[in-house]
Amino acid sequence: MAEAVADRRGQAEDTLATGNLNGLAVTRLGEGEPDWLAQRRLHAWKVYETTPMPTERMEEWRYTDLAQRLPLDQLHLPSAVPLIDDPATWPEPLKHTMRDDPDSSGHIVLLGGNVVHADIQPSLASRGVVLTSLRKAVEEHPELLKEHLATQAVPPEEGKLQALNAALWTDGVFLYVPRGVRLESPVRVTRWVSGAGTAYFTRTLIVAEPASQVSYVDEVLSEDLDSHTFTSTSVEVIARDSARVQYVAVQRLGRGVFYQSAQSTLADRDSTLDTLNVSLGGTTTRVDLNARLLGPGANSNMLGLYFGDGDQHFDHNTSQDHLAPATRSDLLYKGALDGGSHSVFRGIIRVAKRAQQTDAYQTNRNLVLSQGARADSLPKLEIEADDVRCSHGATVGQLDEEALFYLMSRGISRDQAERLVVLGFLGEVLQRLPLGGVVEKVTRAIESKLRTGAHA
Amino acid sequence: MPENALVEGLDLDQYKYDFRTVDKPVFRTEPGLSEDVVRAISAHKEEPEWMLEFRLKAYRLYLKKPMPTWGADLSDLESVLDQIYYYVRPQDRMKNNWEDVPDNIKNTFEKLGIPEAEQKVLAGVGAQYESEMVYHSLKKEWDEQGVIFDSIEDGLKNHPDVFQKYFASVIPPADNKFAALNSAVWSGGSFVYVPPGVNLDTPLQAYFRVNQERMGQFERTLIIIDEGAQAHYIEGCTAPIYSTESFHSGVIEIVVAKNARFRYTTIQNWSNNMYNLVTQRALVNERATMEWLDGNLGSKATMKYPSCYLVGEGAHGSILSIAYAGDGQHQDTGGKVVHAAPHTTSSIVSKSISKGTGRATYRGLCKVYEGSTSARSNVECDALLINDTARSDTYPYIEIEEQSANVGHEATVSKVGDEQLFYLMSRGMSKDEAMALIVRGFIEPIAKQLPLEYAVELNRLIEMEMEGSVG
Repeated sequence: MAEAVADRRGQAEDTLATGNLNGLAVTRLGEGEPDWLAQRRLHAWKVYETTPMPTERMEEWRYTDLAQRLPLDQLHLPSAVPLIDDPATWPEPLKHTMRDDPDSSGHIVLLGGNVVHADIQPSLASRGVVLTSLRKAVEEHPELLKEHLATQAVPPEEGKLQALNAALWTDGVFLYVPRGVRLESPVRVTRWVSGAGTAYFTRTLIVAEPASQVSYVDEVLSEDLDSHTFTSTSVEVIARDSARVQYVAVQRLGRGVFYQSAQSTLADRDSTLDTLNVSLGGTTTRVDLNARLLGPGANSNMLGLYFGDGDQHFDHNTSQDHLAPATRSDLLYKGALDGGSHSVFRGIIRVAKRAQQTDAYQTNRNLVLSQGARADSLPKLEIEADDVRCSHGATVGQLDEEALFYLMSRGISRDQAERLVVLGFLGEVLQRLPLGGVVEKVTRAIESKLRTGAHA
Repeated sequence: MPENALVEGLDLDQYKYDFRTVDKPVFRTEPGLSEDVVRAISAHKEEPEWMLEFRLKAYRLYLKKPMPTWGADLSDLESVLDQIYYYVRPQDRMKNNWEDVPDNIKNTFEKLGIPEAEQKVLAGVGAQYESEMVYHSLKKEWDEQGVIFDSIEDGLKNHPDVFQKYFASVIPPADNKFAALNSAVWSGGSFVYVPPGVNLDTPLQAYFRVNQERMGQFERTLIIIDEGAQAHYIEGCTAPIYSTESFHSGVIEIVVAKNARFRYTTIQNWSNNMYNLVTQRALVNERATMEWLDGNLGSKATMKYPSCYLVGEGAHGSILSIAYAGDGQHQDTGGKVVHAAPHTTSSIVSKSISKGTGRATYRGLCKVYEGSTSARSNVECDALLINDTARSDTYPYIEIEEQSANVGHEATVSKVGDEQLFYLMSRGMSKDEAMALIVRGFIEPIAKQLPLEYAVELNRLIEMEMEGSVG
């Protein structure tokens, strides 16, 4: 099920090739699109223009100087040369990581801002499962997109960058799982980012109907890029009653890239909606994850792992919104910081008045491995119901000397012992959501970072 | 009786310090704030020129700084600040003999039990009424050892060198909007100096009373505990209830020298029409220990985060905070520990109880600067919610720049468990006795740190708050 992309945009292309991030680009992107979508882009652009640029004076951006890290005026949109679905032309690292994936229900491949390949097991397609590019979905599933695209989960009003994305997105992934359909193997999405100085805007929309089940793994890669590159993605995940959804994002970008991801998960009655964010690469990472527990019995496990070295900067901003009674959420974010890297974890649990019998937990643990590294942690609670069990914990510390000593007394060198302890520390996160392919890949990526890091 | 009705019954209109004293101040400025008011305060105090300039500079800073929007709701505060009296002088001069204090003021403090407490357990007592310290005394034995316990004004007059060296050195006017305001219009408060090696084994106490309606009280306290000395200072605050809002904004600066040990205890029980915005900070030197024991029970809105700046190797800071937020109250409290030297240690323990429409917020900072090797800090926050209209928030900030630091933060929020209540009631207790016992158990780790009299008082207050559920 190959598809060629970017040939539907007509005359917009030449402008986009040289264009900047401006209102003209928004209009051009909307040309040839259904009116509702073109209008949504214009609205989003208006929100973007009227929303002030985040500064460190704003609580949510206190530790990340966006203006300095993201020179938006110097970036341009990707040129829209028609791309052909030909694996022979794909970059080697992309093919390599895909070869490492075990079983899958289907694949999507994105080069830059566009989908170049989509496939889904025929047996699933015949049961109504849709896995396709967002552009194609606009034409083939307009009702679903009209209802869900940038409306509830990540509307432009969420923030400046969310608005920019909603105005300028070029493509993305649409996954639809009908009622009662269970996918045994994960859907695997692989992205490659290449153009230095380019700003890529994509979106992901996942709708899991009642009693359905799906796992989704999204991996993004690039080489080191010498100038600023921006990849922005908005992720909307909707789990209807009793659905079970796992969303995994693995970020393994090269240096020079600013990775920004705004994710929102909506969990209806008795559904389970789990997420895992693995942040290893890039120069700057900013993840905003908002988990909304909308129906009684909804449950969300939220996992995160980051490992920084050099001048890497990670900013994870999470919220757990309990909006219905008898809901549960459990967050665990763990990070190790080497070299001169800096991590920020800002998490909030909000329990609404009506959300009685809620269990909400939040844990952030950091290992600081070198003298130049820095970890900031802001675990917050806002509780308006009284019949709740809420707790949070945060720690910042260094390698456990006793564990090191134990390993060294067994004849393991200090370097190796340190690697093992870091791996064990971060590995706890992976063990909670052990998806095939992810655990091995992430473990290998951490190992290679430990080998090359300034620390070892 | 259904539980909700029982919980509703836990009302809060039992504030026992709600009595007014009819009196006529010797002098007061016009309501509202202007440069003239600042000049008038300084003139009345016959201050040196540098202090007037300090005040005027702070006043300009105050005007420039925006109203904070991140904490308690201060949206009505601007209009309150336009209407209050910034300086009210209740009597001619401060007295050192209790008998000389004017009768009406004396009666006020006697009703609050102050002279009685002095005889029993205190090394010294200061009492502030409106804008001035009306009474200050120190037991002779401490006076002989060189301890100074004076009003802040007398500190400036009689000990100008020490005063000028430390005044505004811990909390400069630019620190925050209300520190700037206090710096402009400060009046009253204590000046404490404990000489090297002196161990003041009974506490000093300062008592703050606001009597008049629409009053702004701006006490300023400067405490220096010299090398190897030890002391404990207690402040208490009350006011009658008026339909209009009053305002209290103190600045407390503390220097704890090498090897010294100091504890500062606050039992804040302002009436529910009081805005209470206070800046308290201690500079803790080599191997010194600073302990804040911060009890916030009263006021309409409190924003107060006692801080320890650990600037000397091996310094230790500890903050024990207890907040009770009843109907209409917002306690936005917590603590800050800043590690700026190696081998510094700190701990924050916060307990809050929210009831009715009360809101208790923990807001804290733990910062470890690079180079503060082997710094250790532990923060624990527990919140208890008494019913479903109450609210609890926790906003900790943890900023770690040092690799060898070990920092932990833990918080829990829970309600009084039905099982706990059931267990106690099955042993023959009434429901509100059981409730009071559980709440007492919850705050016990902090209550047991208080001097006995205060622990008894705190327990009594909690019982009072839990009363009314009888029946």
